[in-house]
Amino acid sequence: MSDENAIPETVSPLADINQIIHAPARLKILALLYVVTSLDYVFLKNQTELSWGNLATHLKKLEDAGYIRIQKGYQGKKPQSIIQLTAQGRQAFQEYKQALQQVLDDLPD
Amino acid sequence: MSEKISLKDLEKSVYKISVQDGIIDIQIGAFLLMFAVAPLLSATLGDFWSSVIFLPFWAILFLGLRVVKKRFIQPRIGSIEYGSFRKKRLVRLNLVMLVFNLLALILGFLSFIQFSDLPGWMVTARFSIIMLVGFSLVGYMLEFSRMYIYGIMASSAILIGEYLYQNFQISHHGFPVVFGVMSVALIITGVTIMVRIIIKNPLPGEEQPE
Repeated sequence: MSDENAIPETVSPLADINQIIHAPARLKILALLYVVTSLDYVFLKNQTELSWGNLATHLKKLEDAGYIRIQKGYQGKKPQSIIQLTAQGRQAFQEYKQALQQVLDDLPD
Repeated sequence: MSEKISLKDLEKSVYKISVQDGIIDIQIGAFLLMFAVAPLLSATLGDFWSSVIFLPFWAILFLGLRVVKKRFIQPRIGSIEYGSFRKKRLVRLNLVMLVFNLLALILGFLSFIQFSDLPGWMVTARFSIIMLVGFSLVGYMLEFSRMYIYGIMASSAILIGEYLYQNFQISHHGFPVVFGVMSVALIITGVTIMVRIIIKNPLPGEEQPE
């Protein structure tokens, strides 16, 4: 079968958009991490207004994708996890920004 | 383009959340307290020691504020480490303030050696402008708008103090009164902001993941 006759998997230009980042909650988390060196769970929870459970789930997905690094530690007797963007995560976010911009620019007026 | 602007705004708001906790207000209030109290002590301790005596006071206060931040504020609002943009900006602020303080010192020294030759208002005006410029520089570089108000308050305080001295013979160029009032106002502002943060942001419960 020639390439011309092949059925495209999807015709949507949004298919190229990184779906791990595209979820609003994860996008918010990555945008916050993109502008700082690191932050902790409490700051992230306050800014994203997610529940602890939701936040942990989204962070796990981002960590599994290699986009963030979570360092677990303690401040005094209380747990304090420091989260930071990895180089891979920074690059993925930049590519996501460009891809999204491209899709939006290509949309007809 | 709008994406770029929104990330910039996000960085700015994240930074502001981390610094607008009232601690800077209390620190400046404590610093200005020296201008109110040192003139009263100078008769007994001399000019040098009446100012130097504040160093241990500031050290203890700043240490105390660090503990308050770590124990009461950070567990509630969380903590961040700034990105490279903000770190560079803060380094620039330190350099600018170093140059500014040196210039202010030179100007102060010149005023001191020319003191008898200069009319009283000239020394007051110099000091007033130094305060205004100093606070405005910090306000601009820290992106801390309250600092401009503090600059206007401090520079006006010097002029008002001189007016009180000239017209009502208030001692020490009115410094104990005007800087006393300003210092108390700043400390109250800082403490109020801090208490509001503590009340508005309860400690996260046990459900916080480890």
